[in-house]
Amino acid sequence: MSETLLKVEGLEAGYGEVQVLWGVSLAAVRGHLTAIVGANGAGKTTTLRAIAGTIAPWRGRILFEGDDVTRLSTHEKAERGFALVPEGRQLFTTMTVAENLELGAFPKRAARAYAERLDQVFTLFPRLAERQRQLAGTLSGGEQQMVAIARGLMSNPDILIIDEMSLGLAPVLVYQLFQTLKKLKDVGLTILLVEQNVHLALAVSDYAYVIAEGKLFTEGRPAELSAMPEIRRAYLGL
Amino acid sequence: MLGILASIIDGVLVGLVYGLAAMGLTLIWGVMDVVNLSHGPVIVAGMFGLYLLTSALGISPYLALPPVLIGGFFAGVLLYWIAVHRMVGKPPLMSLLSTFAVNLVLVGLGTAVWGTALFNVEVSVPGVSLGRYTFPGPHIVASLMAALIAYALYFFLHHSRTGKAVRAVANNREAAELVGIPTTRVLALTVGCSLAIACVSGMLIGTLFPFTVLSGDSYLLKSFVVTVLGGFGNPLGALFAGVALGVLEGAVAPFVPISWTLVIEFGLFVLALIAFPGGLFSLRRGAL
Repeated sequence: MSETLLKVEGLEAGYGEVQVLWGVSLAAVRGHLTAIVGANGAGKTTTLRAIAGTIAPWRGRILFEGDDVTRLSTHEKAERGFALVPEGRQLFTTMTVAENLELGAFPKRAARAYAERLDQVFTLFPRLAERQRQLAGTLSGGEQQMVAIARGLMSNPDILIIDEMSLGLAPVLVYQLFQTLKKLKDVGLTILLVEQNVHLALAVSDYAYVIAEGKLFTEGRPAELSAMPEIRRAYLGL
Repeated sequence: MLGILASIIDGVLVGLVYGLAAMGLTLIWGVMDVVNLSHGPVIVAGMFGLYLLTSALGISPYLALPPVLIGGFFAGVLLYWIAVHRMVGKPPLMSLLSTFAVNLVLVGLGTAVWGTALFNVEVSVPGVSLGRYTFPGPHIVASLMAALIAYALYFFLHHSRTGKAVRAVANNREAAELVGIPTTRVLALTVGCSLAIACVSGMLIGTLFPFTVLSGDSYLLKSFVVTVLGGFGNPLGALFAGVALGVLEGAVAPFVPISWTLVIEFGLFVLALIAFPGGLFSLRRGAL
C-alpha cells in the first residue's frame, strides 16, 4: 500500500533568466504526508509552483497517477485533483468565506462531493461555519489560513499541497493546524507540505526531502533525518 | 419649481442609460485593469445596429435589443483576442494604445460607410404626463431596460457560478487559476459581457437622441467620468454615478445653453475628484 501518487523527476525551473531549481526529484506516496524542508530561498516554494503549474517547468517531468501532467495548465491540474494552498493564503479577500469555499469547489470533480466536503470543512474548522457571511479579507491570519486549507479541500482533491502553512501564525494556531493535517491524513488524504519550521515538519511527516540551493540535499524518514549530524546542525539548531 | 423637479426626474431616466454605458467600461477595468478606449465606437456600433435593424427589417426599435446584445457579446470576445489578451498584466499604456487603435479603426470604417451625417431612429411610445409636464415615452422605456440589464449583470456576478468566477478573477487571478477556473476564458467572457452592455446602452441612447459615427467620443468621456465617480471597477457605483450625471444634466439644462453642460460636468468632475479621490461610491472597496 505504498503506491506513488505524484512523482517529480529532474525538475528545473526559475523566473526570467534566473534558474532556481537544478534538478529536483521527489515522490508523494498515496495516503502519506510528505514534507519538503529547507532554508529560505532554497527553492521549496518554486518547486510547489512548478508542480501546480503557476510557473512553467523548464525541464523534467511531473507524473500524476502515472500520467505525464508536466504541461497541463494550473486549472487543468485542479480538475485532475491537485489543490495548492499557496503561500500567503491568496484568498478572494473581497468575497465572503462561503463564496471562497464555493469557488474552491469550482472543478467539476468537486460537484458530486460538495455537501460532504462542506460538512467536513465545517467539522474541521467550526469557526468558519460561524463566519460564512464575513468577507475573507477581514478575518484574522489564522482564520484566513483555515479558509485557505478549507478552500483547497472543497475541490475534493487527490493531493493537498500546502505552502508555508505556519508562516506568520501564532505557535498555538500552528499546532492546531498540524493536528488538522494529521486528521486529514488519517482519513486517507495525500498531503505534500512545504515548511520552514523543520521541527514541526519532521514531527508530522511520513517522509521528508531536504532541499538546498535548488537541489535535493538529502531525503529519508523523519527519524533518520533528525539523526543526521548535518541536519541537526543546519536545520534543527541542535 | 415643478419644472426643475421634472428635469431631475428626466435626468434620472437618462442617467440610468449613461450608468449602463459606464458599467461596460468599469467591468473590464475591474476585472483586468484595462481601460477600453474603443468603448465609444462600440456604443456607436450599438446605435448603428439599432438603425440598421429598424430601417432594413422595419422591426420595432426595442426588438433590436436581443440581436444587439448578442452581437456585442461576440464582438467583445473577438476584441479580447485581438487587442486585449496580450496586454493583460502589462503596463497600462500598452492596452490604452491597442484599444485606441481599435477605436480609430472602427471610427474610420464607420466614417467610410456612413459619413458623418446625423442619423435618427423614430420611436413612438406615448409619454407619461405629470401636471403640465410630459416625460417622453422613450426615456421611460430606455431607463427601465437599462435598469433591468444592470440588475441582470449584478445578479449574474453575485449569484451564478460563472459570475462568481469573474469576481474571483478580478480579485486574485492566480488564486482563481489554482481553484480550477480557466481564467483566460473568463477574461474573454468578461470583455464579451462588457461590449454587449456597451452596445445595448448605445442602442438605448439611439432611441433617445440623434447620433453620428463620431458620437462615440462624447459617450466615452461621459462613461469615463461616471466610471471614475463611481469608483473604478464597481458596476453598481457606475450606475449610481450615471444617475448623478443625468440628474446634473437635467438640473442645469433649463438654465444654461446646452453647450455649457459638458463644461459644468467636467468642472464638477474635477472638483469631485479633489474631494473624493477614490470616487463617490467607492466606500465598499472592490465591490465587484
